Amino acid sequence: MNHKELIAAMASKMNAPKSVVADLLETTIATFTEQLVDNKTIGFQSFGNFEIRKKEERLSVHPSTQIRTLTPPKLVVNFKQSAILKDKIKDLPHHE
Amino acid sequence: MNKEKISLQEVADLLASKASVSKRVAEDFLKVLFTTIEDSLLAGETVKIKNFGTFKLHWNEPRKSVNIQTGEEILLAGYNKVIFVPDVILKDLVNEPYAHLQPVEINSDSSEKANNEENEVELDPLRIFTEQASEIKDLISEIQALSSNTRPTISEEVTQPEIEVDEIAELTEPQQIEIQPSELIEVENVIEEDIPDIEPEKTKVSDDAEIDDSTDDYSPNPFLEDIKPLKKKKFWPWLLITLLIVGATGTGLYYIYPPANKFVNNSLILLEINFKSFRETASFTELLNTVSKWVSPSPKEIPALETIIIPKDSDSTAIMPNNQPVDSLQILFDTPRVYPVFIASERIRSGSRLTKMAKRYYGTPDFWVYIYEANKDRISNPDVIPSHTLIYIPKLDPRLIDATNPRCIKKAKELHDLYVKK
Repeated sequence: MNHKELIAAMASKMNAPKSVVADLLETTIATFTEQLVDNKTIGFQSFGNFEIRKKEERLSVHPSTQIRTLTPPKLVVNFKQSAILKDKIKDLPHHE
Repeated sequence: MNKEKISLQEVADLLASKASVSKRVAEDFLKVLFTTIEDSLLAGETVKIKNFGTFKLHWNEPRKSVNIQTGEEILLAGYNKVIFVPDVILKDLVNEPYAHLQPVEINSDSSEKANNEENEVELDPLRIFTEQASEIKDLISEIQALSSNTRPTISEEVTQPEIEVDEIAELTEPQQIEIQPSELIEVENVIEEDIPDIEPEKTKVSDDAEIDDSTDDYSPNPFLEDIKPLKKKKFWPWLLITLLIVGATGTGLYYIYPPANKFVNNSLILLEINFKSFRETASFTELLNTVSKWVSPSPKEIPALETIIIPKDSDSTAIMPNNQPVDSLQILFDTPRVYPVFIASERIRSGSRLTKMAKRYYGTPDFWVYIYEANKDRISNPDVIPSHTLIYIPKLDPRLIDATNPRCIKKAKELHDLYVKK
């Protein structure tokens, strides 16, 4: 499901025009991003937590060339699914 | 890290204020958003949100584990898990504080790298050699192009030293082959005698300026200058070996055969004297060059190369100073100096020093001796000069006061010792 399909699905659920949904979604995403950049954790009980984690700097060695590289630290977005979502999804059959 | 956690409620409030909608609408919207995502995930689909990221299901394979208490092996069942992959835009926004950092390659002593470096080092001389070869090739072609406009004249200076060198080369050859010490001495003598005879002839010839052949043979070669050092290196061992053989047989004869012993003793002294005087005319480097020349396997090629060089008159003269100043300087030192021209005059005041003047006019205080020499008739003692004495600063040959040449300094020091002791 891509962005457009998501908007369409939501619009039908909310009985609202797609353009409104699209605007709202855009604002929502902007808000999420803003909060994350402010180093805040966003928690949704039914869904999961979004948070920023810091990956420390590390030494990596290229396996074939043996070149050692110092990788700088970085900040990444981490999503941890909530227990509710986990339970719902857990028992899904695995499709290969 | 102390993180502030905000809930769905707070996000809804923010959203409401931003999108200027009621809080209820914002909350509903968020709930619908997540249920929609959930639904599609449950349907086995991935959900992609622009500028945010992708939610997808990830299947964790069943794996074996061990019960910590009992030590029994148990099988953990496989399960699905929602994972979130942030969009590039979100990633960059979040990582902004560290965005300027770049991975740094660390110079390690790993074997791989060391090997690479060694290879480079090994290749280096080879590369230099090929570069030189191509350079020489270029120059030769250039000169050949020029040789159509050849000027047959060459200066005396150019011919002289080369003739010397060649003569010596020819004459020293038998010396090395026949190991008789007496022969050796004779050869040395011959060299001494022959050189003056040959030189004038050749120079006359060059004055006539019509002999291409002689110039061909004796003009110095800028390429040779380049090549010589290489040859020298290559043939030094051979030279040493031959010298050793000569020495061994010589001493053998010296001890076994008494008349030879006597003769050698006499002639050795002669040789020494000859060698000393010989050294003055031809520098040691020239000697080395000759040695390397006759040792070289292809002496025939050298004249051929030299032929090509002639048009480069400026070049040949440019090279001359390498050999020439040795002799000319010595001559300059030995000839009594006369000071017909003066560049300045100065009256001695208290605090005046000849060295200071020398420093001012010639750049180096060591050359004060020449000022003293020029004013000898007015100065009785260089250390005590009566004030109001007029000192004339002589014009000197620039070669004589070359501060960069250690020989000039040395000469000045010698003169200094001479005058100050007196």
